[in-house]
Amino acid sequence: MDIKDITEDKLNLFIDEQLDTDEMNEIREALLDDKDLRERVCQLKAVRELIGYAYSEVPPSRHEDQNKKHSGLLFGRAAAASVMLVVGVALGWSTYEYSPNATRSISAENTFQYVANHVKADRGTRKIILHIDSSDLQVVNAALNEADQLLATYRKANAPIELDIITNKSGIDILRPGVSPYISRIKELIDNNDEVAIYACNRSIAKALKKEGVEIVLMPEVTKDKSARELIPQRLEKGWVYIKA
Amino acid sequence: MKVVKNLVASFTLKSEFAARRNKLYRIAYSWCHDSALSDDLVQETIYKAIKNAAKLRDIETIDTWLYRILYNCWQDYLRVKNRNVEFTEMHDEEQSGSSESYQQSQIVKRVRASVEKLPLPLREVVTLADFAGFSYAQIAEITDVPIGTVMSRLFRARKNLKQQLLEFGSDDLSEFKLRRIK
Repeated sequence: MDIKDITEDKLNLFIDEQLDTDEMNEIREALLDDKDLRERVCQLKAVRELIGYAYSEVPPSRHEDQNKKHSGLLFGRAAAASVMLVVGVALGWSTYEYSPNATRSISAENTFQYVANHVKADRGTRKIILHIDSSDLQVVNAALNEADQLLATYRKANAPIELDIITNKSGIDILRPGVSPYISRIKELIDNNDEVAIYACNRSIAKALKKEGVEIVLMPEVTKDKSARELIPQRLEKGWVYIKA
Repeated sequence: MKVVKNLVASFTLKSEFAARRNKLYRIAYSWCHDSALSDDLVQETIYKAIKNAAKLRDIETIDTWLYRILYNCWQDYLRVKNRNVEFTEMHDEEQSGSSESYQQSQIVKRVRASVEKLPLPLREVVTLADFAGFSYAQIAEITDVPIGTVMSRLFRARKNLKQQLLEFGSDDLSEFKLRRIK
């Protein structure tokens, strides 16, 4: 596909996953080679996410007011949490940058450099969130490759690391035995690396349960007592680096 | 037995409506930026939904059905107030919050202010798509316009918002980190 043929309308259809499989793949391929195109996609996605978060907490209705007299603190925290995500997304517009030689994902060296440049220089443990909200083959493969590369790089540099893989939406499907083709790979990742923890959003699990009508069984290693909207902002507030798959 | 069955069905539907109340309120708020009006619109929506529950033939379509009622209530309100060309009296309400959340609330305010500047049809579509998560087809059904119109409005809205919001990220956000790998 000629990049000149990729109109803004087509990119909108792409981020909403409304194109057919061939067209989706053509744009994915084009994204690998064209920095400007990636920037355009990132901006569109950021707009979409900002809208979502800008209205996730609004002034309480009379109805909510009556029910929330005892949960003010919780409400405040949730609001702050969702806004933190907005801030993260907003910054993504300016920090979204690939190396000139980038192929399917950022190289481990670049990641290491990124972290070295941006994480507070406390010489402590490097803390990284890898957020997966899709079960798309390319996305998950790139994310798991990224996790492997990160761990290998930090190990080689003899630098301590904590890596939390947080899944939500269809991303939780990668943790479902009998459904996911990634179970053995993820299990190996967890078994071989004490510094890796894996989480599934409890809201996404509840939604999947409601949709499918059967219990959503996940790998026993998965922690599933909080939502992604709680887990991610909590870590961002503490200075963790956020990587979106 | 039939009476009991009807009672159970009615109770179930009311529970379904109640479970969606908060999200209906948020969507209404994204359209009018007025909590009292949003409350009224949702009350009216729930009332009409209960009254017309028999018309809901497939429980799977309850979301589209409810949001269509809400959308109609909103359009009725605009018609009565003669504001169906452009609704200009909205002002986002001040939200209380600690100083720690000041910066974040400023960002939310800026996004809402940008949404508020959109023409109403664009605002309705972009919030239904990007906040409520409806598909193009569902939005076409809710707003009763062709799917091509939905797409055109959504894309124009995003383009407009992108232009307004692009400067985000350069000011006071340097302590936060985000990167994408795909």
